[in-house]
Amino acid sequence: MPAATHTLVIGYGSPIRGDDAIGPLGAEALAASALPAGVEVLARHVLTADLVPDLAAARRVIFLDACVGGHPGQVNVQALAPQPGLASTMAHVHDPRELLAWCVALYGRAPQAWLVSAEGASFDYAHCQLSACAQAALADMLGTVRAMLDEPDEGSQLPAGARVSAPCAGSV
Amino acid sequence: MSRTITIDPVTRIEGHARITLRLSESGRVEDARFHLTQFRGFEKFCEGRPYREMPALTARTCGICPVSHIMASSKACDHLLAVTIPPTAEMLRRVMNLAQIVQSHALSFFHLSSPDLLLGWDADPANRNVFGVMRQDPALARDGIRLRQIGQTIIELLGGKKIHPAWVVPGGVADPLQPDTREAIAALLPEGLEIARRTYGFYKALLPRFTDEARHFGTRPTLFLSLVTAKGQLEHYDGVLRVKDAQGRILEDQVPSTEYARLIGEAAEDWSYMKFPYFKPLGYPQGVYRVGPLARLNNADSCGTPYADVALAEFRTLQEDSPVTSSFHYHYARLVEIIYAFEMMERLLRSPDILDTRVRALARHNRDEGIGVSEAPRGTLMHHYRIDDSGLITWVNLIIATGHNNLAMNQAILQVAETYVEGNQLQEGMLNRVEAVIRCYDPCLSCASHAFGQMPLSLELVDARGRVVDRLARG
Repeated sequence: MPAATHTLVIGYGSPIRGDDAIGPLGAEALAASALPAGVEVLARHVLTADLVPDLAAARRVIFLDACVGGHPGQVNVQALAPQPGLASTMAHVHDPRELLAWCVALYGRAPQAWLVSAEGASFDYAHCQLSACAQAALADMLGTVRAMLDEPDEGSQLPAGARVSAPCAGSV
Repeated sequence: MSRTITIDPVTRIEGHARITLRLSESGRVEDARFHLTQFRGFEKFCEGRPYREMPALTARTCGICPVSHIMASSKACDHLLAVTIPPTAEMLRRVMNLAQIVQSHALSFFHLSSPDLLLGWDADPANRNVFGVMRQDPALARDGIRLRQIGQTIIELLGGKKIHPAWVVPGGVADPLQPDTREAIAALLPEGLEIARRTYGFYKALLPRFTDEARHFGTRPTLFLSLVTAKGQLEHYDGVLRVKDAQGRILEDQVPSTEYARLIGEAAEDWSYMKFPYFKPLGYPQGVYRVGPLARLNNADSCGTPYADVALAEFRTLQEDSPVTSSFHYHYARLVEIIYAFEMMERLLRSPDILDTRVRALARHNRDEGIGVSEAPRGTLMHHYRIDDSGLITWVNLIIATGHNNLAMNQAILQVAETYVEGNQLQEGMLNRVEAVIRCYDPCLSCASHAFGQMPLSLELVDARGRVVDRLARG
């Protein structure tokens, strides 16, 4: 496999489950904007195994996803490492760390990988209707990713688990 | 004292299910049941929606086979419109349907079943997964990923996205095929066919290892139901229904798919959310039949493409003088169908009319009842709608491929459990074989119940007083 040089951004989530759409919506917004050379952007419903060759061919991958359990509106950045122990018992949904492990097993390397996630407030069926919190988080998410893309070398200098934006007012 | 073994959930299938095995005092298997444990109720909540929403709504049944639902649903809507869709639209739908079959069959073979086939039924469950396959044969695993990627890419090139594309619409397709898209798809096909043929050769060489499983994995007689062409050839998109018995006698032939209800009845049991379709002339529960790749190859007189016909002839040697009755050979049939799909897509894309811009018949609803039937990867898929004068859905019946196979799957797990399970001394390999026979059918329980999820696996032996006397657990 030739030396990887480009950055791949993958936003994923269900487009009809409210704030879960923030990943693909973020990817679509990035794809529609001016990007540095060597950046490819994909929007996906879920992460599937057919993405593995694309992941393995990239120098750096930035995953965009929604998350729950924290304060709605907050955007987080964390480094991801391959984790083969996450083997899915089904085949149409994968954790990004599992797919990174596939990269290592099949292609001998995994890209540097980051997860930029936004805490969602509502995951009801809503046809791409983001909550107000998620709307605000989307802007923060995009700003974070653009800053990472502008870095010439190995991506964000943020420590793993860094919080890069505040939660929505009233959600804490 | 009778006891019950519960396998909950069944792993490496698409969706949630539980298997229970009831044992006699001596530890012999007396009964086996495959339970579908979740319910989503698409047939009810679609009521009141405009029929034109049905392809998009029913596609949400499943993340694996949305294209199949879009296909059958759009055909039901074509029927409501009372139109014959343009020939080019039909060819384009066929290409997408075949791409769906490629990606789904690749997923089933490489991802869900190859751990058993490559590593063995009794291998350590910690290694008997897709990572074990990668370690054992990384080239095979890469082929599996690439086949799925090719199928998904063709769907995306045609429909604009890989999952839930909105390109197939009532009356045809939304947009004609562009020349550069045709070239992009055509460029993928030789590699896909090469991988499919290589995998087929690999599996043929592997097959002698599985003589015992082939003898016991769902070999009891059933009927076979599928679409065939008017000439009796392999068909996945349209055609007519054929029913063949285990001796190879054709019981029903050239039945228009709109008359499916004459052949198929549906029963329900209080222990599963999956319906129990049966062949009406034989009644319930005697009317057991199978659908899917095994049934399609058994029913077809030929495939109609060169390499697939060679493979079909070899498939028929698995059981001389009658249809291939072992459900273990669903794996084999899947690989034959992948070869066929690539050959047929290549033929369709070479058609001089494939770039015709007339791809959609426009009409209002002209019937109050519409039926659409196509072959999904797992088998015959039936969508049946009734609408009111405003075009709002008043009644829906969906008969899903996995549902057709429900009686046969229950029959098969009983056979496997009787053969391999020794209730007094549970071994993980016994449990895995019971699950593996279900994997032969590649059930999509998201479709059959319209539910999905995953949990660690546990198997328990419970005595008549409810005490757990033995336990195996995964995850």
